[in-house]
Amino acid sequence: MSDRSLTKKEQWDWWTTLIVALLVIMGVTNLYSAAYNPDRPFLFDFGTLYGKQIMWIGVGTFMGVIAALIDADYIRKLTPIAFGVVIFLLIAVLFTKPINGARSWLGVGPFGIQPSEFSKLTTSLMIAFLIAQGRSKQVSRKTVIFVIGLVLVTMSLILLQNDTGTFLVFTAFFFVMYREGITFDPIILFVFNNLLGFRLKRTWVGVHFIPVLFVVIFFSIITLYFTESVHRFSFLPGFDVPGWALLIAILTIIFVLAVVLVRNFISQRVRRRFISIAMIVYFVSIGFVGTISYAYLNVLQSHQKVRIDLWLGKIEDKDGKDYNRNRALAAVGSGGFSGAGYQEALLASPRSQHVPESETDFIFSVYAEEWGFMGSLLLVTLFTILLIRLVVIAERQKSRFARVYAYAVMMIIFYHFAINVGMNIGIIPVIGIPLPFFSYGGSSMMSFLMMMFILLKLDSQRKEVL
Amino acid sequence: MNLDSRRLVFLIMFVSVGVIFGIRLFYMQVVDDKWIERAGEVAKRKVDVKPPRGILYDRNGQKVVSNKTYYNLMFVEDNIEDLDTNAFSELIGISKDSIRKRFEAIRKSLDRKTKSKYTGNDTIVNDYRSYLPYAFLTELSADEVAQIAVDLPNFKGFYEEPMSMRNYPFPYGANIFGYLNEIRPHELNADRYFYSVGDFIGRSGLERYYEHELRGQKGVHMILTSARGRAVDNFADGKLDTNALQGPPLHLGLDIDIQGYGEKLMQNKLGAIVAIEPSSGEILALVSAPNYDPNLMVGARNIRKNYMKLYEDSLRPFFPRPLAAEYPPGSILKTVQALIGLQEGVIDEETGFPCNKALVGCHNHPNAQNVSQAIQFSCNPYFYYEVKRIIQQGKKESIFKDAAVGLELWEDYMNSFGLGVKPETDIYGLRGGVIPNVEFYNRWYGENRWAFSTIRSNSIGQGEVKLTPLQMANLAAIMANKGYYYEPHFVKSIGESGPLDRFTKKKYTKVDREHFDCVLEGMRKVVNEAGGTARRARIHDIVVAGKTGTSQNPHGEDHSVFMAFAPYDKPKIAIAVFVENAGFGGTWAAPIASLMIEKYLRGHISEESKRKEKRILEGDLIHER
Repeated sequence: MSDRSLTKKEQWDWWTTLIVALLVIMGVTNLYSAAYNPDRPFLFDFGTLYGKQIMWIGVGTFMGVIAALIDADYIRKLTPIAFGVVIFLLIAVLFTKPINGARSWLGVGPFGIQPSEFSKLTTSLMIAFLIAQGRSKQVSRKTVIFVIGLVLVTMSLILLQNDTGTFLVFTAFFFVMYREGITFDPIILFVFNNLLGFRLKRTWVGVHFIPVLFVVIFFSIITLYFTESVHRFSFLPGFDVPGWALLIAILTIIFVLAVVLVRNFISQRVRRRFISIAMIVYFVSIGFVGTISYAYLNVLQSHQKVRIDLWLGKIEDKDGKDYNRNRALAAVGSGGFSGAGYQEALLASPRSQHVPESETDFIFSVYAEEWGFMGSLLLVTLFTILLIRLVVIAERQKSRFARVYAYAVMMIIFYHFAINVGMNIGIIPVIGIPLPFFSYGGSSMMSFLMMMFILLKLDSQRKEVL
Repeated sequence: MNLDSRRLVFLIMFVSVGVIFGIRLFYMQVVDDKWIERAGEVAKRKVDVKPPRGILYDRNGQKVVSNKTYYNLMFVEDNIEDLDTNAFSELIGISKDSIRKRFEAIRKSLDRKTKSKYTGNDTIVNDYRSYLPYAFLTELSADEVAQIAVDLPNFKGFYEEPMSMRNYPFPYGANIFGYLNEIRPHELNADRYFYSVGDFIGRSGLERYYEHELRGQKGVHMILTSARGRAVDNFADGKLDTNALQGPPLHLGLDIDIQGYGEKLMQNKLGAIVAIEPSSGEILALVSAPNYDPNLMVGARNIRKNYMKLYEDSLRPFFPRPLAAEYPPGSILKTVQALIGLQEGVIDEETGFPCNKALVGCHNHPNAQNVSQAIQFSCNPYFYYEVKRIIQQGKKESIFKDAAVGLELWEDYMNSFGLGVKPETDIYGLRGGVIPNVEFYNRWYGENRWAFSTIRSNSIGQGEVKLTPLQMANLAAIMANKGYYYEPHFVKSIGESGPLDRFTKKKYTKVDREHFDCVLEGMRKVVNEAGGTARRARIHDIVVAGKTGTSQNPHGEDHSVFMAFAPYDKPKIAIAVFVENAGFGGTWAAPIASLMIEKYLRGHISEESKRKEKRILEGDLIHER
């Protein structure tokens, strides 16, 4: 490979860079407001959180640029070493003193690192490395077991640190496996064929197990959230519509709409298949909503219901851990359409400190209160665009290593974004993980930046490798 | 299935999460107001701002009650950083030990007894919060604060906070203005909207009567508080705040110069002076002796120091003598007796009665040939005859029943002079005096067991009849007005609202105007002609009309009474002076009244009256006996 061909073939993705840069700038700007210290207003004051964050961004960018100077192939080859080092650190961290009940810090004083943050990067690389080793399109069973095993080992090390948030993020890798065709069908088939006596070659549920699971969890939460509520509509005077009935009505409307659309716009052959699938999905959904509702309303004891309601945030545990989220929700909600204005937050401001952890887990509440719905929508849109862009990047990779890695990065960012924002707007229980590029934290900031740099580097060389 | 198309699953997932978040954010931030309310509950605190109290001006526009800024030395425990107790003790001049004790006392003062929700036992809850400000030292004067202000910034967590307290430029009128002190629990419960613990409220006098006006309107400031409750900033840039509004000034009819002069004249004496402007009913002076400097009762520090001392003083400086001391009026009541007789037609202006000393004691004077002479000589037997004619008009067979009818009639007349009824003056602590009526004597002697002879002492203002000095002065005003009066009052106008309605209504007595002339003529002679009983009340170039009285006192020396008005032709001042244990009315009360009149009408005391003034000022009727 000559130097000349390298420059010719390298195509750096400036759009993604721009979006990430925008998010980083918004993040620092917001952190400056969230952690503002009137005695030290200088942005680059390294004694303040914003000063430190800028330092981390600098270090992260520096390390990212170094990674970007390395040839994609070397990155791939270095992967096992990097993974091994981080696993070693994950073990080492277990022998430290716990901080706030979690053993996740390694190092001295303020300059500690969190190996678990870096393990997201190295595990992504390692999975890509392992899956890319196979020559055929089908991943060998041995690789599958090896990959799953590695993920589970890393997850258990993180669980030992008592870091549930990061633990949960690791389930993102199952989506990556799904994209690569690693199915959970053998397990399903084993259950059906060996235990129940069926003779199936494969099941739809088993193949799409991960997204199905996602949808199931999503539906369960929505159902549990709405089932007990009562809705009134002006066009239905005198009727109190229970939440479960409303859900079924919505599902029916979606189904009818989908069928009508498909009938009119899609070819005959696809249409027939679609309608039968849609019918199955529709009836399964209704059955599912019905079952969950019934179980919640009639089977569960009241104290169990209370626990679920607390978890969902339907009822408030004002003195308990819901306190944080309630304050964050109040901050987000009081932002209004255009927000309180930069550095004008009442609740989430560092002056009043009503929202605990407003520099880390609840930093979105500061942003949402100060920039209102317009700002929040911009943030959500930027993240969504970034994710869609990452799908595009991932799918254009010729190297399997790069593609798997791209999917891993994409899903990790998605998990962080969805869980963090979801928790800040009260639709997901409190799970402490940072919002990428926004939350204060050196390890996570450096880890995310390096993830992006390595991805963009791999992407830039997509045309070289076959 | 083609694995490449699985990208769709991801795209759908990302877009749907983005859309759900967008909808949820729209609902939370734009549609649902719940969260804004929640934010208010969490971070908003109301802070009441109390304005300084309204100012009181006298009739000449002089400030008689104003405000002065004092300072509290406040602290917030959370903000105190390594307090150097040695230096602090030096700065505020309190020993280190006392500083520690003071902190403990503040904390302890916020203990509150309460019943435990769970056990039902009495428990003590402490409301002290280390993030809230408390006063370490209170009511520091500007001078005291100036001494510590320079070094105070060295002590983090301490700061001075201004506060408004009363100030009296003239050391007079304490009995009129009253004083403020800390609100009591039942008062607090009655108006929780305005007051809070530790507020000062009008406790007596005008401060109490006009509390509602003087206190003004409180302002409410919305403060953004931190999670620990500390005030951080204005809430919503102060858009929700309302401003405190100072109470309107009270313009008084009082003349602080003669009020002060009266207090000086009454020094070392017990009693009262009340002066009224007859044409308006405005009280020009209302002296209660002994009195005290109103500045002694400003603020909790002063009250702690002085209240018990004044309260336990055997001369009772807190007792509002002009309003509440009921004395036998003595001979000044003869003027009213004469007027009732004239109105009833039982005598006319020229009726004379012999000075029959066998009936009742009298001094040596010629027989009174007519009403004005009777007043001039203050002839006791004359009024026995005269009042007997009022009481025993012969309308009933039985003299007892007849007396009852007569007394009822007499009571009505007396009441129409404002006697025996509580005045509606704008101050608390008023009493109505005593005009004994039928019921009164029936209870005392039994029905049909009394007649005029039983109650005749009342004819000359002794016996059971009692008046307050305010009523006596009002009587003088009635004389000056020839038959009507305005309710005596202090406040001419609240702010610029003009005279109060209830004080602008003429109240007529039941005696017609034409009957007054001969009585007034008699009063003129009392002062100005030989044989009059109050020649000491004479003023050069000013015609004073008056009536002396000697109020018999079974417990000691008689009380000296005098009522008067002047000038005779166009009365501008009506006055009553009551000096306890001073003997004959002409000796002390009359000269005091004349000095007051001269001071008011001339603005100064003429050379001719200087000797009189000196005698009064030097007279000590308390300590010499």
